[in-house]
Amino acid sequence: MSLDRKVPIEERLNSNAWDVDQRPHIRIIDPEQCRRCDKKPCLYLCPARCYTPGPDETVLFSHAGCLECGTCRVVCPESNIEWNYPKSGFGVQYRFG
Amino acid sequence: MSGKFDVIVVGAGPAGLTAAQQLANRGFKVLVVERGKKPGSKNVFGGRIYAHVLDKLYPEYVKEAPVERWVRRERITMMTEDSWTTIDFETTKTEHRSFTAYLTNFVEWLDKKAESAGAVVIPEIPIDSLVIRDGRVVGVRAGNDEVYGDVVVIAEGINRLVLERSGLAPKLSPEIVALGVKEVIKLDRNAINERFGLDEDEGLAWVLAGYPTHYLPGGAFIYTNKETITLGVVLYLSHGYQLDTPVHELVEEFRLHPLIKRLIKGGQLLEYSAHLTPVAGLNASPPNLYGNGYLVIGDAAGFLLHLGIIIRGVDFAMESGRVAAEAITKAHDVGKYDAETLSIYGKLLEESFVLRELRAFRNAHKVLIEPRLYSDYVRLINKVLARYFDVDGTPRRLGSTLLEAKGNVTLMDLARDAIRVVMNL
Repeated sequence: MSLDRKVPIEERLNSNAWDVDQRPHIRIIDPEQCRRCDKKPCLYLCPARCYTPGPDETVLFSHAGCLECGTCRVVCPESNIEWNYPKSGFGVQYRFG
Repeated sequence: MSGKFDVIVVGAGPAGLTAAQQLANRGFKVLVVERGKKPGSKNVFGGRIYAHVLDKLYPEYVKEAPVERWVRRERITMMTEDSWTTIDFETTKTEHRSFTAYLTNFVEWLDKKAESAGAVVIPEIPIDSLVIRDGRVVGVRAGNDEVYGDVVVIAEGINRLVLERSGLAPKLSPEIVALGVKEVIKLDRNAINERFGLDEDEGLAWVLAGYPTHYLPGGAFIYTNKETITLGVVLYLSHGYQLDTPVHELVEEFRLHPLIKRLIKGGQLLEYSAHLTPVAGLNASPPNLYGNGYLVIGDAAGFLLHLGIIIRGVDFAMESGRVAAEAITKAHDVGKYDAETLSIYGKLLEESFVLRELRAFRNAHKVLIEPRLYSDYVRLINKVLARYFDVDGTPRRLGSTLLEAKGNVTLMDLARDAIRVVMNL
């Protein structure tokens, strides 16, 4: 892909090697907390855009593309994220880390 | 995963594998458990390793280690949207002081060293927590499996879930970590040499501040490898909530900045990665670096020296692994692995560069989180130079140009911050 222009994050994530587990390793504990959270730093600080705005001030989460950095669990002001590493070697497979 | 080992190491990274190799070499029965499919597959760093620690541990590294390029050129840039000021250092001396590398490859190499010394490395096992009995760490737990060891070395990295879940570290705070986001871009070898002014196998390490983080604490980096360059953005999470643009777009805006865009023209993206990094030195350490039956090493222990321009993680990780192995050997001679006997680890760390340097730079973090460094001063130096070079027939002395360009920054701020930087970094 040409890098002389903006490349959507999904396309950039596609350049990685993955071994995706169907079972999500991260979960929003209480969606109602997200609705009341005014900062929602997860939307800005997840480098893989796993967190997106949902209807009615909610936050939607998808574990596909998760880079396992841990930022979301660190910045969530409500500690509202249940965070695990993927099971048995699943997830992103870095080749040039 | 079963049985009983002398030593269990949690995490096959630079710290854990160094400890494992040193211990296995001395006849200890060592198990290393790693969450990735293979060692290195979950590791990410900026791009450079300081070699002094390898001279001691693996003198054969010059021939063997997966070195990309030897760094002989260093650049520091203060960057705004439309102008930039760079300090460019280069030396013709060919001493091997630091090199660029992929951490994935480097860790694979360390893994071979540990395994050939006799350590058992088992991948694909994320450890849930430590097994603690009567106030003593006796093993590790993964799902329903438990495995036991006389002593456990925790080398799980900065996102230290095992320590947290075992009650040995508080929840990771945004104040002590930064998020690094990195792109690895394939480019022709000759294009890299020409565009970055490098000879064959000669490398560049480059840090940039200001625009890359939208003037928040943090910065950008570029390292040249043989046939790729790595570029990325590091953002202090203490200031992350002030960000006005998603972080995945920050790295893209940096790549498309006029200074950078022309350097990577025709490049192909090979990988997009992200990782947390400790930035607060000893303030990022867990309350105890050792206790009954355990030691903490590497990033998990906060052993990364961050001085803004110089960032040293791998050498600190490996040295702390070496020191832990020495401490365990001494404790084994005593015949006990309780906190009192393992306190030798603390003493040996004090004697090594790990704690000597981290203590010498204990105020670095306080200085580096000053937002003015990344905003006002970056704009100021570019504004002063832009005005100074803009010859239009009006007389401009440097002093009056500075007074005109400094905006809200007072001369007192400038003097105080300059002194703080010079004294603490």
